[in-house]
Amino acid sequence: MAAPVTRLTIRGVIARKWRIFLTILAVVSGVAFVSGAFVLTDSVKKSINDLFATLSEGIDLEVRTSIAFGDEATAERDPVSVELIDQISAVEGVRLAEGNLLRAATVIKSDGEPLRTSGPAFGIAWVGPDGLDGRTMVEGRPATGPGEVTLDKSSARRAGYEVGDTVTIVGPTGKGDFALVGLNGTGKTTNGGGASIAAFDPRTANEFLGAKDMVDSIYIAIDEGADRDVVMAAVDAALPDGIEVITGEQSAEETAGAINDIIDIFGNVLLGFAAVSLFVSAFLIFNTFAIIVSQRLRELALLRAVGASSRQIRTMIIGEALVVSVIATVLGIVAGMGVAKGIVAIFNAAGAAFPSASLIVSTRTVVASTVVGVGVTVAAAIVPALRAARIPPVAAMRPELGFNSLQKNKRLVVGSITTGIGLVLFSVGIFGQPGGTSGTLGLSAIGAILLFLGIASLSTTVAAPASRVISRILPLPFRPMTRSVPGRLGSRNAQRTPRRTASTASALMIGLALVSTVSVVASSVQASFKEQLQGSVTADFFVSNGPGNFQGLPVSFSERLSELPELSAVSPFRAATAQVNGDTKQIGAVRGSAFGQLVDIDLTSGSVESLDEGKILLHRDPARDYAVSVGDTLTILWLNGTEQRIEVGGIYDDATIAGNWLVGLSTLQAVSTATPTDFFIGAKIADGVSIEDARAAVEKVALDFPSAEVQDQAEFQQAQEDQLNQLLIIIYGLLIISIAIAVLGIANTMALSVFERTREFGLLRAVGMSKRDLKRSIRWEAVIVAVFGASLGIIVGIPLGLAVTTALPSTFITTTVVPVNTIITILIASIIVGVVAAIGPARRAAKLNVLDAISTH
Amino acid sequence: MNSPSTVAAGAADAFKIYGKDDSEVRALDGVTVNFASGKFTAIMGPSGSGKSTLMHCLAGLDSLTSGTITIGDTNLATLNDKELTLTRRSNVGFIFQAYNLIPTLTALENITLPLDLGGTPVDQQWLDTVIDAVGLRSRLDHRPSELSGGQQQRVAVARALASKPRIIFADEPTGNLDSRMGAEILSFMRHAVTDLGQTIVMVTHDPVAASYADHVIFLADGKIVDELDDPTADQVLDRMKRLGS
Repeated sequence: MAAPVTRLTIRGVIARKWRIFLTILAVVSGVAFVSGAFVLTDSVKKSINDLFATLSEGIDLEVRTSIAFGDEATAERDPVSVELIDQISAVEGVRLAEGNLLRAATVIKSDGEPLRTSGPAFGIAWVGPDGLDGRTMVEGRPATGPGEVTLDKSSARRAGYEVGDTVTIVGPTGKGDFALVGLNGTGKTTNGGGASIAAFDPRTANEFLGAKDMVDSIYIAIDEGADRDVVMAAVDAALPDGIEVITGEQSAEETAGAINDIIDIFGNVLLGFAAVSLFVSAFLIFNTFAIIVSQRLRELALLRAVGASSRQIRTMIIGEALVVSVIATVLGIVAGMGVAKGIVAIFNAAGAAFPSASLIVSTRTVVASTVVGVGVTVAAAIVPALRAARIPPVAAMRPELGFNSLQKNKRLVVGSITTGIGLVLFSVGIFGQPGGTSGTLGLSAIGAILLFLGIASLSTTVAAPASRVISRILPLPFRPMTRSVPGRLGSRNAQRTPRRTASTASALMIGLALVSTVSVVASSVQASFKEQLQGSVTADFFVSNGPGNFQGLPVSFSERLSELPELSAVSPFRAATAQVNGDTKQIGAVRGSAFGQLVDIDLTSGSVESLDEGKILLHRDPARDYAVSVGDTLTILWLNGTEQRIEVGGIYDDATIAGNWLVGLSTLQAVSTATPTDFFIGAKIADGVSIEDARAAVEKVALDFPSAEVQDQAEFQQAQEDQLNQLLIIIYGLLIISIAIAVLGIANTMALSVFERTREFGLLRAVGMSKRDLKRSIRWEAVIVAVFGASLGIIVGIPLGLAVTTALPSTFITTTVVPVNTIITILIASIIVGVVAAIGPARRAAKLNVLDAISTH
Repeated sequence: MNSPSTVAAGAADAFKIYGKDDSEVRALDGVTVNFASGKFTAIMGPSGSGKSTLMHCLAGLDSLTSGTITIGDTNLATLNDKELTLTRRSNVGFIFQAYNLIPTLTALENITLPLDLGGTPVDQQWLDTVIDAVGLRSRLDHRPSELSGGQQQRVAVARALASKPRIIFADEPTGNLDSRMGAEILSFMRHAVTDLGQTIVMVTHDPVAASYADHVIFLADGKIVDELDDPTADQVLDRMKRLGS
């Protein structure tokens, strides 16, 4: 029973290999993103976990301050006193205890420019390879005294230094010159894993890095043969309150875990993109199989006539989809490895120095890729297969009877219902709970998918009239097209199989609908952001670390700026984590006397200066949520466990720069001993000082802080907008790939149509149509389909975008913008898409031999 | 082997009506006919006489508006789609005018297709007899595209014979062939009936083709208007002329 169906299936695939090739390509791209996401995360995680495991190999225990709440791995902990090292060394069973100290420190290259790294730039305390952390000596010797340093080998090379040279390093306390006495490595690599590492002996490190006799944590090795649990308990007993001891493994896991979370975000972006591209591919697959079925109408009817059951026909078509999907899945998994490798290579080229890892293809990767690849392909082929099974045997002799059975449909009803349900789910999802949780987001995603499916199904009904309208309007700039025979033929052909035109266009519709949605939301966010920035920034200068550097500036920078007579008001902006009445919040810390002159936060009550009296300011939204007004008190629990009752000193309306919570610098300094860094510094020019003079003064101070970037008001605004734009470019880039798949879809449909109309083209050529005109008519048809798809996409996408914009909180969106330029670009691009998609099919049609084409098969 | 007196298939009071009221077309207008086993019957008639419709209904490919069709002892009207498929698979063979073969299968695979679809074991001895009868032994591994029109039609005849069906329906089997190849195919069909004991019903409008049959039925406007035993081409042509006038 199975044998002939299997044989027919396999032969069917082989016979249609080129037609199926494009389908495979579409599935491959989707599967590649799925497998790429998994391979990338698995491989990079493995290598990072390995790296941290190596680094902590010699560390049995670690002592650090405990935190009151929040994530163990990423918390900014208070440091511990160096005195504790001696106390711990005295505990029985402790072989060695050493301080771990790590601060921002930038290496100045031999040409005077700061060394840019993709990772952070660190200065650390290091006793040398005999110490407990996993660094190795690659060349020379460890730094042993003041004025000595070792660098990781790859940073030294990139900065242009060799052992024996003098290296300038800028740390929290300022600039210093050091003799390079050696090169260090990390684990098995000769670099710092993307970071630059300047290693000093512990005393020098403590002074130069401004640690004030504190260290971040203490590493402990225990005596050989000692029981770790016993030693751990003994150490714990020796520790003061607020200090804890953990195992080396736990420490390594926490650190690696924090990095793994970042890699997961990356993987999830890839997965999200896989979803879009598979969804678009599903249309292409559906279309290909639908066309293959109608092309094989007589063959399928003949099979029915000689005794194949409908189930055998159905099995055969689904079997073909299965073959396609398995091939595509295998190729997709391999391509996914390429994707993963490519991404690692791109990052490494940018200096990330991912530890070179072999690619890991886990069972989960294979299972997920297969489920997705096979699932989507087979699901998309089900409807064509069911339709094929309905072909009556009599169609073997009278094909016209078979076509009738293929054209039965209840599309309008099913389409309307699907669209309706989709709209409801989408609306509930985005409006149901402002801000949105993952549950409501999922709901709106499902709603959007249903909406797309519904519209795709409804579009069949409008495909013919819409094509007619498009073919009337579109050629206005190219007048001759309307009347010419190729123009007329192309337009009629687009109208004659509305179902095909619609489902081909639908694939393009989805990609462009997403682009339209994103562009409406993005333009609105952008415009709102710009408006808010313009309204709120009053500072003349902003100083921050360069783009992509999240380390923050040493506090000495803002202290030195405050002393400049050219500036009247200077305030840094620091951030801290705290719990307000039990909820974890990010709180900004600023100088109350200056901040009011730098940023207009639209204060509605109280005063900004009250910050310096130890009060707290908050935005009107949290003020409403916590039902507080000026004079009320809030309970703040800081990360290190200090609890404070703080009086509300003011409420403001504009959170663009300030965020939702503000305290004074003194408040933060009083509770935390963690070394502060500044996100940015704002400054106002003193009366009577010219912009040029003021800038020169600021730039002069900045010389000692090589990573700092000084921006005036316009530059600052531009930089903020650029950051937003960069994000958008990435999103657009991803969506473009989904459009590329849709182009494949149009090319595929056109190729199949050309094949189907072989005799018709032969006839046209026989009665005198030139090759050129034939090509033009095919191109025209493709353009109409593409413009139809683009129009649908815009019609669906813009309202979706407006809905999302409405659903976003008002702190984000103050104005709504429909980006007309983007929409015009999309329409023009769709014309190009049509022309490009038609290149291959048109060439093939023109190549047909006239005699072959018209002679009976 | 079927005894000559049994009926392989038959129609009783068969009506097939398309459309309604004014636009009503009676493709079959009360046809009653029986086809004897082991005989070669030709159905003739002008275009639109209902000969193709009669054959489609007899073969279970199309359904009647009213009346009954029987194949062997089975009334087709009582069968659902699945049972119809099974009946066709085991009791009916087909030879069409063109597009007879699955392009992706070899000649041999096309011949055994109905058997394979039903999971019926191939009767090798019978298959050899059929293959030798149509003279295709050297071509069995070829795809349809590698065969001439005549050869393709011979494969189709062999396929129809392969499952030893109760009855074979042929729809203008020589319509696309030149006269020499047509004669060849008709000889095979004649041979299949005379020497191999098969039953064939053939729709044709070629008097020469009809002359190979044991019996000819003439249809006009959906009714049987004449019959003829052991026809010659001239006799058939003569009757056709009378029908036309």
